[in-house]
Amino acid sequence: MTPLTPRDRRRRTRLLAAAGAGLLLAPLAAACGSDDPAGSGPIKIGVPAPLSGDSASAGQDILAAAKVAAAEINKAGGVDGRSVEIVEADDQCSAQQGAQAAQKLLNSGVVAVAGGYCSGAAVPAIPIYGRRSVPFVMDASTNPSLTDSGKGKVFRTCGRDDNQGTVAAKFMTGELRARRIALLHDNTTYAKGLADAAGESVKQLGGQVVYADALQPGQSDYSPVLTKIASTRPDVLYFTGYFAEAGLLMKQREQLGLKFTLMGGDATTDSTVLKTAGRAAAGYIATTAPLAKDLPAAGRFVSAYKAATGADPGPFSVYEYDAVKVVAKAVDDAGSTEGADITAALHKIKDFPGITGPITFDDKGDRTDPLYITVRVEDGAFTAYKKLDKSGATWVDAKTS
Amino acid sequence: MSEFVQYLVNGLTIGAFLALIALGYSMIYGVVRLINFAHGDVFMIGAFAGFGTLTTLGVTGGMALPAVLAAVAVGALTTGVVGTGIARAAYVPLLSSPRLALLISAIGVSLALEEGVKVLTSARFKSYPNALDGGRLLSGAVRVTYGQLALVVLSVVLMAALWLFVTRTVTGTAMRALAMDRDAARLQGVNVERLILATFFVGSMLAGAAGVMYGLYYVQISFGMGFLIGLRAFTAAVLGGIGNLPGTMVAGVAIGLVQSFSAGYVSSRWTDVIIFGLLIAVLALRPTGLFGERVVERA
Repeated sequence: MTPLTPRDRRRRTRLLAAAGAGLLLAPLAAACGSDDPAGSGPIKIGVPAPLSGDSASAGQDILAAAKVAAAEINKAGGVDGRSVEIVEADDQCSAQQGAQAAQKLLNSGVVAVAGGYCSGAAVPAIPIYGRRSVPFVMDASTNPSLTDSGKGKVFRTCGRDDNQGTVAAKFMTGELRARRIALLHDNTTYAKGLADAAGESVKQLGGQVVYADALQPGQSDYSPVLTKIASTRPDVLYFTGYFAEAGLLMKQREQLGLKFTLMGGDATTDSTVLKTAGRAAAGYIATTAPLAKDLPAAGRFVSAYKAATGADPGPFSVYEYDAVKVVAKAVDDAGSTEGADITAALHKIKDFPGITGPITFDDKGDRTDPLYITVRVEDGAFTAYKKLDKSGATWVDAKTS
Repeated sequence: MSEFVQYLVNGLTIGAFLALIALGYSMIYGVVRLINFAHGDVFMIGAFAGFGTLTTLGVTGGMALPAVLAAVAVGALTTGVVGTGIARAAYVPLLSSPRLALLISAIGVSLALEEGVKVLTSARFKSYPNALDGGRLLSGAVRVTYGQLALVVLSVVLMAALWLFVTRTVTGTAMRALAMDRDAARLQGVNVERLILATFFVGSMLAGAAGVMYGLYYVQISFGMGFLIGLRAFTAAVLGGIGNLPGTMVAGVAIGLVQSFSAGYVSSRWTDVIIFGLLIAVLALRPTGLFGERVVERA
């Protein structure tokens, strides 16, 4: 045998590596192909959510809601006589982990996915699910591009940021008569998207955006940012980031004695905010999809959730509950666990009685009836405040109607 | 102008905690030649211990200075014990191993502490009692609260106490001897292992006290809070000439000011770029840090 030249050696190494990888991947591929058409085992539904990291508490609220939904479905006899099993994956609210979580869920043989929290983690996950035609029903990822791009079989039970941004702009310029508006986000896909959407609408409605910048999450001290914002003399500051920073902003705004109105987006309506900010939270306004306690249909869910976890549902728990329910319904309607069949069934669903309202998806996968309202902190709790009436021009009391 | 003064006040308050944490990095490095990557998490444990104390005492708001001092004491003692335990379990057995083993051990301890606290207390943010919510010293264009003042004073007292300890006591003198030359110190009859544990005790106590102060100031803590602030304090320790205590104190306050001014005049999202850019620049121009002559002697 002639001695190997370096090139041969490299080639040999590559061959060996390929063979090795093949050996390792073979059982994986077998696991992927385990969609059991005969239908004996449980139907697996994937739930990607941030189970660790800064948004871990929101992720755990979502996972708990998915389990409540699955338990209810199983108690009622399951889907096609098969039980439903929730498979969790931690996406850590990051793009990189989001892609890994998606891969993990596919490898464990999920027939559909219901979950997500951060739009940033959903962006890379969508094409991964799409390649295998596994439908993804998002519960909290509200960035418009997710359904606009049409890259996957994507749906969502929550609203869209552009929709929320418009509602926020109408509220600030109309109800609050604000002319000078400051926008603050945290550079995440969600927060920046919402800030951009709100800014666009504010300008269309004749308002002025006097400040638009990002803060750095996790920094804890936002008084320099607030001091800088104050120097632009805004009537309202609309913060579109997450709850951990919102509570600190309220607290530090009060410490600095600043007078402008502080508003936030739907990622700030978490009870942690109220504890962190204490009395500084009084009067804080947020745009949000209705919370569980403002939804008459959610009463049974809230008590089931409390019984299971000992805590109140998080802001997106109701949307996750509906996402799991609507997926189960679609599997039932399709009579199949093939992704394409479930996707088709999801498109056909009309006025499914979700606890967040009737669910019908448009061609893109967005709900045809997305509704945002404003809530206000009163007596240390988020309370439904104002909502737009059917015409979309007049603000009415959200509590009575 | 009033904005400038406000940034200055905020920067000094942040700098006071950072300096306390940085002192621990610096002391431990001086004695063991170890970047204790678990130090930020020791700081986090201090914040949780203080949280436990204040909630047990039932403090909810207002100016509760005695309760605050009790919380700081409990936080400091808890982290002193935890820090010493970590050193005993994870560092002392590796003292004669290559430095890399110590470093990896430190990173492992850091992750174990974070995950441990997460499992024990859930991933939720904890809201600290507003125990330093007692009105304002200045309330015109520039705001200074009594809480801020109390924290800065407490930091200065702790730093002065450390300075007296290091320069005036036998243990402190032995620590300085150990930092200069471990073998020579051993020959002079210094019990090296015990002294290393003592250093960890004192360094971790400072971080624990800083953790409680952080909780009181920002009123929100979480299991992951130690990472970023630990990294910034580490930067301060390096800038100050790691091992050099007065240099570290000055650099800690300086980093606090940089953080405040960069967020105010540039943008908060650039703060970390600026802080760590500054670190790289200083290391390129003065590898021993701004005040680091003693490191040169050692090398």
